[in-house]
Amino acid sequence: MKKAALSFILVLILILFYTPMSLAQVQTRLRVIQASNVGSSIDPSLKDLHGQLGSLFSFTSYRLLRDEFLSLSPNRPAQIPVHKERALEITLIGQHREISELRVKIKREGMDILNTQVRLYPGRTVLIGGPKHGEGVVILALSARF
Amino acid sequence: MKDSCSSVSKLLEKYFDHEVTEKERSLVEDHILDCETCQDGLSLMGRLREAIKNPIREAEEEESFPWVWEKIERGIRLQEKPNYWESFRSWVSISPLFKKKVWVPAMAAIAILILVTAPLLFKKTTSYSSPSVVEYVESQTYNVMVYESEKGKVTVIWLFEGPEKESPPS
Repeated sequence: MKKAALSFILVLILILFYTPMSLAQVQTRLRVIQASNVGSSIDPSLKDLHGQLGSLFSFTSYRLLRDEFLSLSPNRPAQIPVHKERALEITLIGQHREISELRVKIKREGMDILNTQVRLYPGRTVLIGGPKHGEGVVILALSARF
Repeated sequence: MKDSCSSVSKLLEKYFDHEVTEKERSLVEDHILDCETCQDGLSLMGRLREAIKNPIREAEEEESFPWVWEKIERGIRLQEKPNYWESFRSWVSISPLFKKKVWVPAMAAIAILILVTAPLLFKKTTSYSSPSVVEYVESQTYNVMVYESEKGKVTVIWLFEGPEKESPPS
């Protein structure tokens, strides 16, 4: 009976503790795109960004390198290796209704080469580009899922 | 005859109620065959009994006794129903969990959890009055450009990174 009572208390604690944590999580979609002028192909999985990429940049080829859905918890940085020594660090620092505020850092050899804070609105994409990748550059497409 | 009639008439009531012995019964029956007075007395007893029984039977038929019982039972139940506090107390007393007094640490754990999680739940959220997507952007090594389009629902942050092997500009 003592074991049952202790199990009951533990389950209660877990439920109570897990509920606010799970509510605070934000699903963020990260797409790592390689843009270059080698060839002229656009990855079919980038069709929703095709118009934006074509109107904003003058690259001829866009290739999807990675497509990830990140579950971000407040103030817990998520590290994603991008290319060679470069890594991306995303931290959820705030949330207000359907707007999530993220700190994004691009690191090279452990050093921050870009540090920014952006707000992700529903239906809006943030493109962070520029870091070299092979014969082209890397473009990171960030969007939030609510 | 008179003596016999008076002695039998004492037995008539017992005979009517089937309370006589075998000997008394044969005595009464032998006497009744020849005595009209005792015959009349016996039939009068029968009529009297019927006169008493019939109204009671009619009253029984008219009155819905199951309904009366339902009413009585409901009354009993209402009287027996304990209030909420008594129900709770009885539940507590029958619950083995509470008999073990584990509710003290359980309540303490819940209170601690509420104290810990309350600031997180009621944390003042930042209000975003500005529709701007980029709060800030900085790079100590390269130039950065920010472009926000209203129509295309896209924001671009572009890092003008130099060649890979090249050392970053100071």
